[in-house]
Amino acid sequence: MLNQLVAAYNEAVYDTDRDAAFAVVQRALDGGVTPEQVVFDVVLPAIEQMMGGIAEDFNSNLAQHFMTAQIASEVTEAMVGRFAVKPEVLGRVIIGTSRGDLHTLGKRIVTGCLKTYLVEVHDLGVNVAPERFVEAAIEKGASVIAISSMMVHTARSEEGCVAVRRLLADAGLEERIRLVVGGAPYRFDPQLYRKLGADAWAADGVTASKVISKLIVEVTPWTMA
Amino acid sequence: MTRLVAAVEGRRADRIPVFCNLLDQGAPHLGMSSEEYFSRGEHVATAQLELRERYGYDNVWSLAYVGKEAEFLGCKDIAFAPDGPPNVRDFVLKTPADIEALEVPTNLADTPAFEQSAACLKLLRDEVGGRYPICAYLTGSMTLPALLMGMDKWMELLLLGPASLRDDLLTKCSDFYDAEARAYRAAGADVLLYANGFGSTDFLPKRLFDALALPWMKRDFAPGGVDGVVYYAGTARLNPVLNDVVEQLDIRAFYLSPFDDLTEARQRLGDRGLLSGVLNDIPIADFTPEQVRDEVTRIIQAGKVSERFLFGTAVMPLNIPEANIRALMEAALANAAW
Repeated sequence: MLNQLVAAYNEAVYDTDRDAAFAVVQRALDGGVTPEQVVFDVVLPAIEQMMGGIAEDFNSNLAQHFMTAQIASEVTEAMVGRFAVKPEVLGRVIIGTSRGDLHTLGKRIVTGCLKTYLVEVHDLGVNVAPERFVEAAIEKGASVIAISSMMVHTARSEEGCVAVRRLLADAGLEERIRLVVGGAPYRFDPQLYRKLGADAWAADGVTASKVISKLIVEVTPWTMA
Repeated sequence: MTRLVAAVEGRRADRIPVFCNLLDQGAPHLGMSSEEYFSRGEHVATAQLELRERYGYDNVWSLAYVGKEAEFLGCKDIAFAPDGPPNVRDFVLKTPADIEALEVPTNLADTPAFEQSAACLKLLRDEVGGRYPICAYLTGSMTLPALLMGMDKWMELLLLGPASLRDDLLTKCSDFYDAEARAYRAAGADVLLYANGFGSTDFLPKRLFDALALPWMKRDFAPGGVDGVVYYAGTARLNPVLNDVVEQLDIRAFYLSPFDDLTEARQRLGDRGLLSGVLNDIPIADFTPEQVRDEVTRIIQAGKVSERFLFGTAVMPLNIPEANIRALMEAALANAAW
């Protein structure tokens, strides 16, 4: 039954049909599926299927990524309130766009998907100074700083990823906090993240959520301090 | 111009056309800040003419940057950067009421906002009109809202919002495209680069491409036609929609994505139109000049199987070293000859 639900839910998401996706969730709940199962056995596998499809180049598109995140985040938010036991967060992430960059879509998709992984996301918004990323990560106990840049000069800027890497090194935080980047320049130059000192990158917002989740587990145990 | 006309008609001139986009490079070339450079049409025209002369490519650009069209529609706050292109800082549309209040100028050429664009085009026309194609950048109705309200708010309205509000906005954006195309054509632009990311299945599923993108694009072109129009999806891939665009819109020139397979594109298009092979110019800042030459050679050799071919660049970031721009152009011109 759960496999059928995942398939029906994903079909709705691929069709960018929010109402149909919510109808699938409602049918599941009516049929006795628990809110926990909806999140972990339907929505999360659906996100991972979308990632698998992206990796195999099945020509997914931005609208589908947007709707994957939007619907997953809405469903998770609605379901978590109905969980039998309040779930523990997997970890914490600081996200924002690099200095001078005002593009918000990428981090919105990442944030939406991360909610389903039960990651607590602190969004610093746009045009974020490198110091602010690091201060916020320390303040919130975050395991990952995620920096989105849609333009070459904001990705490569001395006030972007490069500066955050330097600040983490200077503060001796490199083993505690991982640095992830994403955005168009990284798709056009897949080695760019290394040149700028990031630990990882992702080609799209949906895949980024998985990359970030893996890094959180790498850095910090599941039970957060 | 003879090279471009020959390529469009499927004939051989002395070589294939080579297009290059060195718009932002005009500021350092003239020793100006980006803000000062883009503030005067004559600055942009002067730099375009001198850079074309220096490198030997076949086109010039009129005044354009992401956000210029937002300025035509009332944006007052553009973020200029010393090391990159200008961008919109404050969006014109923040509420549904803003969409209702948005006014599209019928005669864009008569507005103060178009004054510097017109000045740029006049200088270009006076200096190289009829000899080198003068290019203008126009954003299609489906993509223009991203510049007016931000990409994520536009996705929200497009996919989740009320259809009537979405269509009100698209109607205004489509009317604006027509006004802009008329203004640019009248001012002397030969090539209208029709930029529309949402005209690609990298942005929308095919179902929405058919249901929304195609009808709105048809509306964009209904009043003024497609003369001089080059279809471009802002570096998104075109191969999956090439046939639809030819058959439904009758557009015959395509500026591909660097990620499009050129051979596949030619197979899909046949001899129905002009294709550009486009260099992925973002990583070339870190290439050696030899690597740049190899990549340019590869693209031109793959595309020059047809007379209906030109070579072009994508965004040409400012961090590309002079030696690599030289290598790019030397390789392009060396491989371009028939």
